Amino acid sequence: MIEKTTPSEMIVHIGPQHPMQPGPYRLNVKLHGETVVDLDVELGFIHKGIEKILENKTYLQGITIVDRMCYLAALSNEEVFCGCVERLAGIEPTPRSQYIRVIVEELSRIQSHLLGFGEFGHFIGYASMFMFTIKEREDVLSLLEMVTGTRITHSYIRFGGVREDLPEGFEEKCKKVFEGVRIACDEYEELLRTDTIFKERSVGVGVLTADIAKEYGVAGPSLRATGVPFDIRRNEPYLVYDDLDFNVCTQTEGDIFARVKVRLDEIRESMYIIEQALDQIPKGPLFAPDLPYGRRTPVMRVPQGEVFFRVEDPRGEMGMYMVSDGSDKPYRVKVRGPVFPTMQALPPLIKGESIADVTAIAGSMDSCTSEADR
Amino acid sequence: MDAKTIIDSISNEFSDSISNTLIESEIRVSAYVSSPDVVEVCRYLKESLGFDHLSCESVVDYIKRDEFEVVYHIASYDHPVVLTLKAILPRDNPVIDSIVDVYWNANWYERENYELYGVSYTNHPYLKVLVLPEEMLGEWPLRKDYEGFPQKTAKNLV
Amino acid sequence: MGEINQNITQKTNEKVEEEVNQEEIPGVITTTSNAISDFIKKTAAQDFINWGRKNSLWFMTQPMGCCGVEMIATGCAHYDTDRFGIIPRNSPRHADVMIISGYVTKKYLPALKNLWEQMASPKWILAMGDCSISGGPFYESYSTVQNIDEIFPIDVFIPGCPPRPEALLEGFIQLQKKIAAKKDKGTNY
Repeated sequence: MIEKTTPSEMIVHIGPQHPMQPGPYRLNVKLHGETVVDLDVELGFIHKGIEKILENKTYLQGITIVDRMCYLAALSNEEVFCGCVERLAGIEPTPRSQYIRVIVEELSRIQSHLLGFGEFGHFIGYASMFMFTIKEREDVLSLLEMVTGTRITHSYIRFGGVREDLPEGFEEKCKKVFEGVRIACDEYEELLRTDTIFKERSVGVGVLTADIAKEYGVAGPSLRATGVPFDIRRNEPYLVYDDLDFNVCTQTEGDIFARVKVRLDEIRESMYIIEQALDQIPKGPLFAPDLPYGRRTPVMRVPQGEVFFRVEDPRGEMGMYMVSDGSDKPYRVKVRGPVFPTMQALPPLIKGESIADVTAIAGSMDSCTSEADR
Repeated sequence: MDAKTIIDSISNEFSDSISNTLIESEIRVSAYVSSPDVVEVCRYLKESLGFDHLSCESVVDYIKRDEFEVVYHIASYDHPVVLTLKAILPRDNPVIDSIVDVYWNANWYERENYELYGVSYTNHPYLKVLVLPEEMLGEWPLRKDYEGFPQKTAKNLV
Repeated sequence: MGEINQNITQKTNEKVEEEVNQEEIPGVITTTSNAISDFIKKTAAQDFINWGRKNSLWFMTQPMGCCGVEMIATGCAHYDTDRFGIIPRNSPRHADVMIISGYVTKKYLPALKNLWEQMASPKWILAMGDCSISGGPFYESYSTVQNIDEIFPIDVFIPGCPPRPEALLEGFIQLQKKIAAKKDKGTNY
């Protein structure tokens, strides 16, 4: 807790309800004039105890719960949960379902980055940016809805497969939507490059260097913006990412502008991945015929053991540590979300900046409080 | 750097404190460490073996064995090997050294473990509640013998 | 105004009225603003006032969970709540409607009450999503608060996990109908 030491200092509480915040958290900012002297992040306003709930739910019920952990990356959460169970139970998903998983996860990455990008525009006073990106996001969400049936919390991935096959006409609709998103991305980039106000708010502000970012444990776009090509999809490939061609998008500056640029590049890269996957997707069953558990088996016993599995969330490295004691419920689930260390890095990052930049820096980290709190 | 060199290196360096080493796969290794030496082992891992990324720090409550296991998942930004380091603590007095000096981002993980499990860390810079409300400190909700779960206050449940 | 409990507010108002009525000035009829508003409620003027109120339901953006994202999406370009005079506002001081869009935790409840008290009356509350109605998937959690409808005077419940933006729009339309029919809970605040 920060305390006032001299009369010339002032403490401003930002949050838990503030236009800057995608979910409730509180920043206690100590100011000297307009400069931030000290900063303290208060979490837990939406702490739901997901880890405890997961210990008391069967594995199939757990999918629904991890969905609500981070609502912008629900499919990555499902992937990490199902990946853990598959590794414990020794199930290998069929090739077709692996490709479908890649497609839906990359779609979810696109919509998350679009929202994060628009929100960031909103934080620095560019409200129309939000309106632009939400329009494209709705198009991408309609694709996800076509496959999974829901907009943001899908419960789509199952152990060893996926719930439904790709619907008819998905590929054509994908192409149509991506055309629009590509044009929109070019427009955003044009806007980034030419708009003086946007550049003045973002270039050279909130700079993270590679060494400091590594020290803070930051991952995802914020780390890649500093020039470190750390991407779980490349470093520790899961699903069929090995067979797909993609770049790990990096920038070297490490400031807000670089972070936003990395997200924009990743949207394009994700679309490229999806198009490849749609070309390469093999025909075949969604579940292996000799699967030990049915797709909707309410009670499945997973062998004893423990596993730590990581995937690349839209926001960075998403890990899960699962301990099974052989019963139908996990013994312990620990979620290592990407936002938790990112938010931890806010105080040293913001210290010394002016109060006007606090929202810009905190917003550019694209933090999802729900997942940091769990 | 592959899994075997890592295991050999730490077992040689800390032959007294490292035990039960296990190579699960090419990218996952695990080892038990005696709790007083955690900081030293972590410093060695970071400085000599390139494990510069503390991915996760968690606690598992083994109530039947009357033990806590503090689990460190230590990874690297360069190579894909993740080392799972475990330290065993007694359940009635769980105290362990904080590794914030070595890995800066252990700070919040340790605060979270403290409020949810009651594992107290010595030399921690600021060991206070993080996600729970202040008045819930001391209930240790994630322990297996916690009585407040499931909460039965919702009236409109069937 | 700031009291959460409706009954307490009314009782205190009655007391104030009694005190005022005791000081009678000969030849002058004294009254209070409460008495005036009570009188207006019986006339057709109230219909006109409610028509105005129901067509400018500005809501406060305070995303709390999954439903918060849908709430944001509803307020933006695609679903365009502006058509109904429903505009997202960032400050509670500007807002007429608070949407409880997610799980209310023990830590967040005081802040939520504070936000509700900061809003100027007349004000309404929508409970959006299963979490705020009955606890949703987190009903048994150690850190969430149940039975929100006992704490806040909720006018419309929108079920769903999370409800679609269309459902939220429908919730607003139901609230408008309630206001037009003078059956809402919010106007008394």
